[in-house]
Amino acid sequence: MKIAFVSPRLHERGSVGGAETLLWNMARDAAALGHEVVFLTTCALDHISWKNALPEGRADRDGIEVHRFRVDPRDEGQLARFQIDITRGARLSPAQQLSWISNTANSSWLVEWLRAAAPSIDRVVAGPYLFGLTWNVCRALPDKTLLVPCFHDEGYARQGVLLDAYRKARGFLFNTDPERELAHSLMPGLSPRVESVVAMGIEPFEADKRAFAARTGIAAPYVIYSGRREDGKGTPVLVDFLDCFRRRTGRDVHLVMTGSGQVQIPPSLASAFHDLGFVSEQAKREAMAGAAAFVHPSLNESLSIVLLEAWLARTPALVHSRGRVLRWQCESSCGGLWFTDYPEFEEALLRLLDDAPLNAVLGAQGRRYVLERYSPAAVRARLAAALEV
Amino acid sequence: MNEQTETPPAITIGADGVDVHRIEREILEAVAAKRARGEYDDAAVARAERNNILALKDDKEFMERYLACLRQIVPVDINDFEIVERRSRLAPLLKALKRTIWKLLKFYTYRLWSQQNQTNGVLLAAIEIMDRRHGAEVAALRARIEALERASAK
Repeated sequence: MKIAFVSPRLHERGSVGGAETLLWNMARDAAALGHEVVFLTTCALDHISWKNALPEGRADRDGIEVHRFRVDPRDEGQLARFQIDITRGARLSPAQQLSWISNTANSSWLVEWLRAAAPSIDRVVAGPYLFGLTWNVCRALPDKTLLVPCFHDEGYARQGVLLDAYRKARGFLFNTDPERELAHSLMPGLSPRVESVVAMGIEPFEADKRAFAARTGIAAPYVIYSGRREDGKGTPVLVDFLDCFRRRTGRDVHLVMTGSGQVQIPPSLASAFHDLGFVSEQAKREAMAGAAAFVHPSLNESLSIVLLEAWLARTPALVHSRGRVLRWQCESSCGGLWFTDYPEFEEALLRLLDDAPLNAVLGAQGRRYVLERYSPAAVRARLAAALEV
Repeated sequence: MNEQTETPPAITIGADGVDVHRIEREILEAVAAKRARGEYDDAAVARAERNNILALKDDKEFMERYLACLRQIVPVDINDFEIVERRSRLAPLLKALKRTIWKLLKFYTYRLWSQQNQTNGVLLAAIEIMDRRHGAEVAALRARIEALERASAK
């Protein structure tokens, strides 16, 4: 079977976005399953400017044929105006929705290439949902398109022009059951030919709990967060809550972060905050392994890979109860707790700090869950089944 | 590595070992007991909720939580506070300077903040009254709609 994967971005080395990583891993899995794979993407690296930073044309990466195409010109002012309206919950007319989606990342060259190659292509796997590129690919070849939507419960996911096109897709490859439920609530009566929860495989690893403290000299207990730091990820809540926790309980619990983005740290937390920035995978895993908890206060995720990594490092999670997917991950695995407000955060963190056997059992349960559900073999088997339908 | 063809069910709530729902119930009970004892009646807790409260805006209990936070932080703190100085070399001098500046500021702004506290108190009372009044009106309208629906169903 010949399969074209479509992602708005693909970095030259490594990857940055969750959806990008997911699609690239799926492409590699499909190739490993013996399918002929092409990966179609744009010349852009930056998801804000969408500037054509890389040369267009064909290249090979990890044995996969990658084709880069130029991003279409965009009206950023128009895009920003509609994005603000959508975020505020305003109802856009169909014409306004079209204007919005047309000014996100699009590549008419890529879509034309795909149309021309369509007779030789059996399946197109494209995502995430909120880019014009994905929308146009789905409109061009709906019968062959398997959408990897990475739906979040947000205003963008309620735009009728998107949903009308996605409803006609051959199928959906979801990350979690709550994402699948969300898709059905967004598109009542949805009945695609393929509907699978596939997600992403994580290579099992071992990480030494004491390595991080030995290397950094941080002997105090700490909680960790990995990923982008921004309001949407809930990092300000984590900072506020841990600062309050230290003041109220008098405990010297530190906060370790890996990843990128600005974070405002109050002076009272400054001496207990450790910003590691981008670190190697092994350094990140060791930092996770030594933590009392991996705290993830984000509300909108379609799957948290870092949570799965924390569990592989045998570290329990502490998530926001209103983050539907994160809470579902904790409930499914019995590998973490959740909080709604500060008092619940304080009580849950005290349990994780003071009850070492509980901490260890939750971490172990999380690890077992990841090994069972998200091993590369398990994910590849789910992908193989979805592609065959 | 062996290929797995069968995967476990998507949800295994209450798997072998520790059930997180039981732990969560214990946490909620502990929080409820502490709340009843007033252990969270603390302006620091209310301030910590400033970003989190947005995450709860769609909750039924939003107004209740929001007002609870507002009650804790409605008075502007005009008390003295610990003055710190990180530049160790000139710390005693800088601390003394900061203390003097604070005393002058306190003298000049005390009247202003006292008035602000009165305004904040009045605004909070108004919001609480409006919330109670709207709640009562909504409850009365609901009861009336239910009565009308029952009557039309007969």
